[in-house]
Amino acid sequence: MVDYLYDGSFEGLLTCVYLHYYEEPASGVFLESQYQSDLLRPYKCVVTSLTCSDKVYFAIRKKISPLALQNTYYLYLSNHIHKEMLVLEYLKKGFKIGISIDDQHADPLIHDIHILSKKVLAESHRFLGLIRFTDTGVFLYSAIQPDHNILILLGDHFSDRLKNEKFIIHDQRRSKALISSDGIWYITDFDSKTDFPLQKKEEYYRSLWKNYYNHIGIGERKNPKLQAQYMPRRYWKNLTEI
Amino acid sequence: MNQALEKLRILADAAKYDVSCASSGLERKNSNGIGNSKSFGICHSWASDGRCISLLKILLTNKCVYNCVYCVNRCSAETKRASLEPEEIAQITIEFYRRNYIEGLFLSSAVEINPDTTMEKMLKSLQLLRETYSFNGYIHAKIIPGTSSGLINKIGILADRISVNIELPSESSLQLLAPQKKLSAILSPMDHIHNKINENNDLRKKFKGIDKFAGAGQSTQMIIGASKENDYLILNAAQQMYHKFHLKRVYYSAYMPVVSSSLLPVPSSPPPLKRENRLYQADWLLRFYFFKADELIDLSSPFLDLDLDPKMSWALRNMHQFPIEINRVSYEELLRVPGIGVRSAYKIVAQRRRAAVKYEHLAKMGIVVKRAKYFITCCGKYYGKISLKPETIKNALFPEINAEQQLTFWDRN
Repeated sequence: MVDYLYDGSFEGLLTCVYLHYYEEPASGVFLESQYQSDLLRPYKCVVTSLTCSDKVYFAIRKKISPLALQNTYYLYLSNHIHKEMLVLEYLKKGFKIGISIDDQHADPLIHDIHILSKKVLAESHRFLGLIRFTDTGVFLYSAIQPDHNILILLGDHFSDRLKNEKFIIHDQRRSKALISSDGIWYITDFDSKTDFPLQKKEEYYRSLWKNYYNHIGIGERKNPKLQAQYMPRRYWKNLTEI
Repeated sequence: MNQALEKLRILADAAKYDVSCASSGLERKNSNGIGNSKSFGICHSWASDGRCISLLKILLTNKCVYNCVYCVNRCSAETKRASLEPEEIAQITIEFYRRNYIEGLFLSSAVEINPDTTMEKMLKSLQLLRETYSFNGYIHAKIIPGTSSGLINKIGILADRISVNIELPSESSLQLLAPQKKLSAILSPMDHIHNKINENNDLRKKFKGIDKFAGAGQSTQMIIGASKENDYLILNAAQQMYHKFHLKRVYYSAYMPVVSSSLLPVPSSPPPLKRENRLYQADWLLRFYFFKADELIDLSSPFLDLDLDPKMSWALRNMHQFPIEINRVSYEELLRVPGIGVRSAYKIVAQRRRAAVKYEHLAKMGIVVKRAKYFITCCGKYYGKISLKPETIKNALFPEINAEQQLTFWDRN
């Protein structure tokens, strides 16, 4: 039994799963940069191999199900501290049981995994709406602070929607950004200064939007609790209208 | 600049009583312009009343020749009037959309001169957006009753969803409160739109490259509490419209007493929010739970119970059908159990193919066990622990309702 340390990529994680089956069983999978070594526990740094990860990738799809592959990916994007262990346990069980793994709603592990995977999907869906772009004159810029690492789930949607624009979606919590230009997008590390001076036109449309926002609510039906339930307060600081 | 702010304020204020906001029901990719549409719909913000903001909901104008008693925009009301030009609407929509404030446009209007002139202007705004600005986002257009069918046909091609508001579900109330509107004039465009959608679907099966006609379907809205209609009438009207016109949604809007008139509730009275909520619950039961309006409500007590949700209330009236064994009954029967919803019923059906569903699994599958346990058996065992009488179950579930009733009883003596 050995602890596998991976580089933080999805392919790296899948390589660890491969090694678990074809080299030495894993006692755990951890992020290399955050691993605390222990004299009594042997560990191995894993070099990400695309051949190995591809094998696992297609095996999950074929031998378990496309849904399981999706769940695995959402787990990987989540902010759970032991997400790698969850992935390993989930796949171990999945390869044993097969396609019916996701019908085992009563299994505590599967239950937790479904909840977590749903949380990631729900947050990415939320941000399809909650992103607010600022027109800097050259490109559109948006800052977000999501709980989970959902940036990659936003790429296709926004690059299709704003096909003829250039935009940056900045995940401030992870210092990463989705950069898109004319329908082609990629994700990169991003840590530059982002307090752009507001242009006149931008200020005008912001004030129009705030004005609209304040008047579309019906005063007699005021319901701050319901509002915060749909739009949790932790997201409010990046919203233009509040 | 301040003028635009003021106009937007007036026209947003005038549009806010229209409740529809859905941006769902249509999947469309961007064809080299701006915008796309997702079938699941996207909410962008939530206003102070907790309702979502998905579309830029706005009136073309609030200058109205009609004098519907309940309406803030009626011609006899003393309120500021404004109107937007098609170019202004298109620009605001595009600029809001680029910044991801909105999912599209919901354009409605008061009747400025007559229905057709107003709708011509609306058509112009939509043409501008779709053709000049290559806008591929969501557009919901409100059709004014009395619009000529030629205009409706043109608008239906450009808009994704169209709706005709029925407002009041009976001829007598319309006559009393909206004398310029006729029920037949509201229903005939609905019927026309329904036929056009069907015709368009058939055509699109046969030929390539035909544009969708109202691809996201049509909806309508009813005002609750402004007139004397009971829930029995309202739900039956909704059911008929779902059946006859295949509406995507019927919206219910609790009447905000904003106008003082001898025909309406007094302005200080609270809006019937609870009733609106119960109607929505019943509406969901009609659409997703295979209920019929007659089962939920009958003429002997024509209003929905405000203390209990309609499904619980139905179940307690029909205790002879319970308890049911969740490992055996059909999906449709599972849906009738209070505490089991569409998703959890689906999960039960999926899981029991592998192994029997046990009582301790239910909570994990998303079933509200607290409610459901009185109506089910699990592997033959009843876990409710009390007798199957409606009164006892009601007591156990909602002790506060009973306490209240007892209090009023003592008060009376």
